[in-house]
Amino acid sequence: MQDLALGALHGALRGLSARQRVMADNVANVETPKFLASQVDFEDSLREAIAGGDPLGGLQVTSRHSLAPTGPNGNNVSLDEEMLGLVDTGLRYQLAVEGMNAKYRLLRTAMGR
Amino acid sequence: MAVEAITGAIASAVRSAGTALPSLPTTGAQAAAPSGEGFRDMVVGALDDLQGLHGTADSLAVQAATGDLADVHEYTIAATQAELATQLTVAVRDKAVEAFNDIMRMQF
Amino acid sequence: MSAVFSALESSRNGLSVYKTWLDAIADNIANVNTVRPAGEDAFAARYVVAEAVDYGGAAAPGIGNGARVQRVAFGSDEGRLVYSPGHPYADAEGMIRVPDIDMNEQMTSMIVAQRSYQANVSVVERARAAYEAALRIGSR
Repeated sequence: MQDLALGALHGALRGLSARQRVMADNVANVETPKFLASQVDFEDSLREAIAGGDPLGGLQVTSRHSLAPTGPNGNNVSLDEEMLGLVDTGLRYQLAVEGMNAKYRLLRTAMGR
Repeated sequence: MAVEAITGAIASAVRSAGTALPSLPTTGAQAAAPSGEGFRDMVVGALDDLQGLHGTADSLAVQAATGDLADVHEYTIAATQAELATQLTVAVRDKAVEAFNDIMRMQF
Repeated sequence: MSAVFSALESSRNGLSVYKTWLDAIADNIANVNTVRPAGEDAFAARYVVAEAVDYGGAAAPGIGNGARVQRVAFGSDEGRLVYSPGHPYADAEGMIRVPDIDMNEQMTSMIVAQRSYQANVSVVERARAAYEAALRIGSR
């Protein structure tokens, strides 16, 4: 039982949890010399997959190094960016979870429970 | 879709039942419009527009998934409206089926 | 990656401005005793020049997206000439050049920068609480 909205939200959950893992990793390495921060990108791929009709199958979650300038020890993690990004990702995750819950509630109501 | 035909018939039945009843007596305060009619319009509107409400909630959910949603309350309000409209439709359908069964059980 | 709330985007920009300001003040205070020979320029104080971020994506036209560091400006590099004949850098007249950094001004700026940073963080917290409340609309 799958429709476009459920698939899109499921794909968003996958991308957002990957982003959260990567950001936590960046924060853990905020003082590591020569460490380059990574960034997860999934929104563009998700948009294309939705337009193609298969949100989950067509989704590709990619990760690449950040191009931000490095500090004196070769580390380029910006703590403000990562912490704010964690807040932002957490809120988006809650929104996607709430969206799936609402959709499943609708289906249950229509089924008569 | 069969659901639409049934909800359309039920909506027109509710509308005609509403006009048959005497309007609510106004209390001391002079209201701009009788409160009974506003509520009836909202209920009938929900029955009529079930598909539309579902479609709006779905497209806003897709926008929320890709991060294009500017105002989160738009989505939660649309989802709540769709859910309540669905519950209303289901309740009306169940009552209609129950009434039909009652009538069929009547023996002469 | 755009923020779910343009308030979060504004706070993100504001936080980096105040962090840069604190870095500049720390640099100035650390170098308050950096001595140079009289013939050279003194250590110039660093000032952060901020500008408003006015491009769209925010709630309504006219509301911008916070502030941004435009550039770092340097203060006067003239410094003060101080008489200190025993110093290794002293020239023939015994003068050395010390930076013209006012510690009071730097400490005051540091308090302002820190409070502004904390104010931005509390904006983030409030925006997050509002967002979570919006998520709970319609739930039992």
